[in-house]
Amino acid sequence: MILPPRMRPVVAAFAGTMLFAWIVGQQELWASVLGSLFPESARPVYPAATVAELTMQHLRLVGISSGLTLLVGIPLGMWVTRPSGADFREIVSAAVDFGQTFPPVAVLALMMPILGFGLWPAVVALFLYGMFPVVSNTVAGLEAVPRTVIDAARGMGMDRARILFTVEMPLAARIIMAGVRTSVVINIGTATVAAAVGAGGLGDPIIGGISVQNMAYVLQGATAAALLAVVADGLLAGAERLLTPRGLEA
Amino acid sequence: MVALAGCLLLPFVEFRPNRIVSGTFETVFVAGVASWALVALIALALVVALAPGRVRGSLLLVAGAGMGLALLWALGVAAVHLQEGAPAIVRVSVGPGAWLVGLGALIVWFAGTRATASVLVRRIAGVAVLLGVAAIAMWGGLGELSLAREYAVQSRRFWTLVRQHLVLAGTGVGFGVLIGIPLGVAASRNRVVRDAGLGIASVIQTIPSMAMLGLLIAPLAALGLTAIGTTPAVIALTLYALLPIMRNTFVGLAGVDAAVIDAGRGMGMGRLQLLLRVEAPLALPLVIEGVRAAAVLVIGIAAVTAFIGAGGLGILVFQGWGQQADDLTLLGAIPMVVLAVLADVSMRGLRRLVVSPGIEEGTLT
Amino acid sequence: MITLRDVTKRYGEVTAVDGVSFEVPSGEVCVLIGPSGCGKTTTLRMINRLIEPTSGSIEIDGQDVMSVRPEELRRHIGYVIQSVGLFPHLTVAENVATVPKLLGWERRRYEPKVRELLGIVGLPPAEYADKYPRQLSGGQAQRVGVARALVADPPLLLMDEPFGAVDPLTRERLQAEFVRIQRELKKTVIFVTHDVDEAIKLADRIALMRSGNLEQYDTPETLLDHPASKFVHDFMGSDRALKRLGRARVANVMRTVESTTGGARSVVAEACGGSRFVYLTDERGVLEGWVDCKVLDAGTPPEEAGTTVDWHEAAVHPETTLKDALSRMLGFGFRNVAVVDADGRLVGEVSLAAIEGTMADADTHIANLEEGEVLGAIPEESPAERDELT
Ligand SMILES: Nc1ncnc2c1ncn2[C@@H]1O[C@H](COP(=O)(O)OP(=O)(O)OP(=O)(O)O)[C@@H](O)[C@H]1O
Ligand SMILES: [Mg+2]
Repeated sequence: MILPPRMRPVVAAFAGTMLFAWIVGQQELWASVLGSLFPESARPVYPAATVAELTMQHLRLVGISSGLTLLVGIPLGMWVTRPSGADFREIVSAAVDFGQTFPPVAVLALMMPILGFGLWPAVVALFLYGMFPVVSNTVAGLEAVPRTVIDAARGMGMDRARILFTVEMPLAARIIMAGVRTSVVINIGTATVAAAVGAGGLGDPIIGGISVQNMAYVLQGATAAALLAVVADGLLAGAERLLTPRGLEA
Repeated sequence: MVALAGCLLLPFVEFRPNRIVSGTFETVFVAGVASWALVALIALALVVALAPGRVRGSLLLVAGAGMGLALLWALGVAAVHLQEGAPAIVRVSVGPGAWLVGLGALIVWFAGTRATASVLVRRIAGVAVLLGVAAIAMWGGLGELSLAREYAVQSRRFWTLVRQHLVLAGTGVGFGVLIGIPLGVAASRNRVVRDAGLGIASVIQTIPSMAMLGLLIAPLAALGLTAIGTTPAVIALTLYALLPIMRNTFVGLAGVDAAVIDAGRGMGMGRLQLLLRVEAPLALPLVIEGVRAAAVLVIGIAAVTAFIGAGGLGILVFQGWGQQADDLTLLGAIPMVVLAVLADVSMRGLRRLVVSPGIEEGTLT
Repeated sequence: MITLRDVTKRYGEVTAVDGVSFEVPSGEVCVLIGPSGCGKTTTLRMINRLIEPTSGSIEIDGQDVMSVRPEELRRHIGYVIQSVGLFPHLTVAENVATVPKLLGWERRRYEPKVRELLGIVGLPPAEYADKYPRQLSGGQAQRVGVARALVADPPLLLMDEPFGAVDPLTRERLQAEFVRIQRELKKTVIFVTHDVDEAIKLADRIALMRSGNLEQYDTPETLLDHPASKFVHDFMGSDRALKRLGRARVANVMRTVESTTGGARSVVAEACGGSRFVYLTDERGVLEGWVDCKVLDAGTPPEEAGTTVDWHEAAVHPETTLKDALSRMLGFGFRNVAVVDADGRLVGEVSLAAIEGTMADADTHIANLEEGEVLGAIPEESPAERDELT
C-alpha cells in the first residue's frame, strides 16, 4: 500500500503510539529486562505502581494541564490580535517572553508556597508554564497572515468571525500547532519533575530510585518518560502535518 | 490586570510562629501608608494600560517601577510592624497577594519597556529602579522578611550553590558551543550531517531532563562511571545545549545570500577565508541567539541536576520541598529565575554589541 | 449607475479625498487615475465601505451604500486588488467559489459557474481548478482574482491596480482579455491605475485625481484633446498622437486576407492570386505562417518559400490597440501583421499603411490643436499653482 506523503508521519506516529501503549502494559517484560540489566538488585522494578499506572498518572497530569492551556491560550492569542484586545497585546507578549525564560523548576517552586503540594498545584503550574509557547505562537501565527489576504476576504463580504475562522486560523494552524507541540513536550518534562511535589507520574520511580539508591527504578522511570515524550512529540508532529492546509505545504 | 486588582484582596503576608509551621495571613493594609501608595500605583497602571496615549509607554514604566518599589517598601513595613516585640524565631513571609503584585509589576514594567521608544527614558527608569531598590535595602525593613532571614542563615552555602549552578550551566553551554558550532558548520556543508545531527539533537531535546539523567546510567556504567555527580550532569547539559546552538549555526550559515558568497569567491577567497570573513559575521547574530536560548535552557535544567548530586540552586528547592520549608524553596527558585533572566538579557546585549551594524535587526529571530 | 456626491475622507489632519463627485453610467468602465497618494484607493474602497466616508454620499443604482450592511454590500460588488489576495489554503476553484458560498448558493449552482468563469479568464478548469495559489504564476493568480470577483455575477466591479504587479507582456494580454470580457459581460467597472496608457486603453471615462480632488472627469479623447488644466495636460503626456492610437482597435482598420492550408504548388499559387504574401493555416484556420509568393513564383517549392510562426507571438487580436499593434510591427520589422481570434484562427491582417492613415487623421487633429486649441483651453493659472507645478 502506498501512502500519500502527508499521511506517512501520521501513520508512523500512530504505530509508535500503539507500540508504546503495548510496551507500557508489559509489566513482566520490564521486570525481566531490568532484572537482567541489574542482576545484583533484589527488586529491579518499582514496587509502588506498575509502569502503566504511572504512565496514566503522568498522562492525566499533562492532559489536564495541556488541555486547559489550549482552552485558554489559543483564545487568548486570538483575542489580543483582535481590535478589542489590541491594547493588551504588548502586555501579554511581554509576559509571555518573560515567562519563557523561567526555569520550569522555578515555576513549580514559585507555585508551591501559594498552592501547596499535590496534583492540583502541579496542574496549575504546568498549565501556566505551558501557556507561553501556545500564546506566543498563536499570536505569531495570526500576525503572519498576509494583510492582503484579509483585505481580499473583507472585500468579498466576509464578516470578522468568518475571516478569523475560515481564513486566519487555517493559515495560522501550522505555527499554532508547533507551539502546542512545544508546550506539550515541555509539559511532559516538567511533569516528571512535578513528582517531587507529590504530583505522581513517571517521575516517581526516578526520584524514589535516587533516594533509595536503586538505579533500576531510575532507569525504568527514565525510559518510560523518554519514550512518552518522543511518542507524544511524534503524534503532535503528525497532527501538525495534518492540520497544515495542503495549499501551504512546501 | 483584573487579577492584579483582585490580588489586593488575597493575603499579602503570612505571619508564622516559626520557620516551618504555617501561620496567619494579613492583608496588604498592615503596611499603612506604603500600602496606599501601592494601591494608587496599581490603579495608575490599570488606567494607563486601558487608556492608550502618547506617553503610555513611559507611564507604564513609572507605574511598573513604582509598583515594584512600593511592594518592597510595603513588605518591609509589614514585616517590621508584625515582628515588633515578637521573639526572634517568628517569621513573616511573603503571601500570594504580594507575589501576584510583584508579577504584575514585572509585566507592567516589561510592557512599558516595549511601548517606550526612547532609549534614554528606559535607561533613566532602569537607574531609578536600581537606586530605589538600593534605598529600600539600606533601610533594612526587608531584612525582617522570612526570606531574608532564611538567606541570613544560609548565606555562605547559598553563594556556593549559586557558583556551582553557574559553573554547571557555563560548562554545559561551553561544551555546547565547542561541539555545536562545528557541527552546525558541518551540517551546512553536508546533508548527512544535517539530517542525522539535527534529527538526533531534536530527539534529545524532547526527552525530559530528569529522564535524560536516568538514561545516562547505562552508557556511563559501561564506561565505568557512576550516574551520580557532576560528570553526568555536565554531559546532560551539553546534550541539551547542542540543539539550539547547532541549529542556529546551521540556519545562519544556510541563510547567507548565495550572491554574497559568490562575490567573496570572485574576489579570490578560499573556503576557510570565506567562512571566517564572510559567512561567520553574517551568521553571527543567529549563532548568538542560539547560545542565548541554550543558556536559558541549561540554567533551567541545571536545577534538575541537583537530583543526582551535582549541586546548584536546585538543592535548595528540593530540600525546601522535602522539609516543606517554603522559604528555602524560594531562596533557590528566585535566584534561578534571576540567573536565567540575566543570561537572557546579557546575551541579547552581547548580540547587539557584536553584530555588524550593516545587518539589520529585522533579520534576527 | 454609481453616484458619488461630495465624498470626503479625512484621516486626522490629512484629507485623503476632498469633496469628490462623479457618476458612472451602468455598463461603463471608469478609470481612476492620478499620481501616487492622490486618493484613488481611498475613493474606491469607500464604494464597498472598506473605508467609511467622513462625509458625502455614495449611491449604487439609487441606493445609498450606507443603508446596506457592509458585508451584504460587498458580496454584490466584485473586488480585485493588485496583490490579488488569493487564499493560499484553498484551491483555485475554492477561491473562486468563495462569494457564492457566502451568498448561500448550492454547490450545483456555483460549480458550473466557477468552471465557466475559469474558462472565461483563460484558465481551463480541467487543468487549474485543483491547483493551489502557490502553483500559479503572477498573471494566472491575477486571472483567478478576476474570476473570483466575477463569479457571483455582480453588476459592479472595483479593481485596484489589478495588473500592476505583472510583467508588461502579461499585462498587455490581461488588458486585452479584460476588454474582451467586458464587451461580453457589460459590467459597471471602476478601475484604479496610475498607468496613463492603461487608462486610455480601457476607459470609457477617466477620472483624473490630484491630491484628493477630481481634476477632470471625461472621456479619454476629451482628456487628451481638451485638458481642463495644465496638470491634466502634463499628466496625460506629450505623445498624444501615439496615445490616441491606444484608443483605436485593430478591428477598426483590419482587412480580410487570403489564406491556404498549403499543399501543392498550384494550390498555393492560386491562393496568392497576385498579392505578395499568402497566409498559411491548418484545417481549423489556426495561423501557421505565410508564403512569399514572389519566391514561390521563382520556382522555390512551397515548403521553402514559407515562414512558420507561433501566432501567440507574431499575431495580434481584433481588440488589440493600434498602439500595441504598431509596436509589434516595429519589433518584428513587419509592414503587415496577422490578426487572429482568441484561439489563433486567422481573421485578417492590419498594415502599417492603415495605421499611418489613422495617425494622419490624428496628426491633422493635433496640429490644429497645437495652433491654439490646447493652449487656449488651459485656463489662466494662479501663481501659486504654477509654483506647485514646477
Ligand atoms: N489609514 C490611513 N491613515 C492616514 N492616512 C491615510 C490612510 N490611508 C490613506 N492615507 C493617506 O491618504 C492619501 C490617499 O491614499 P490612497 O491610498 O487613496 O492613495 P492612492 O491614490 O491609492 O495612491 P497609490 O497610487 O500610491 O496607491 C495618502 O496621502 C495617504 O497617505
Ligand atoms: Mg492605491
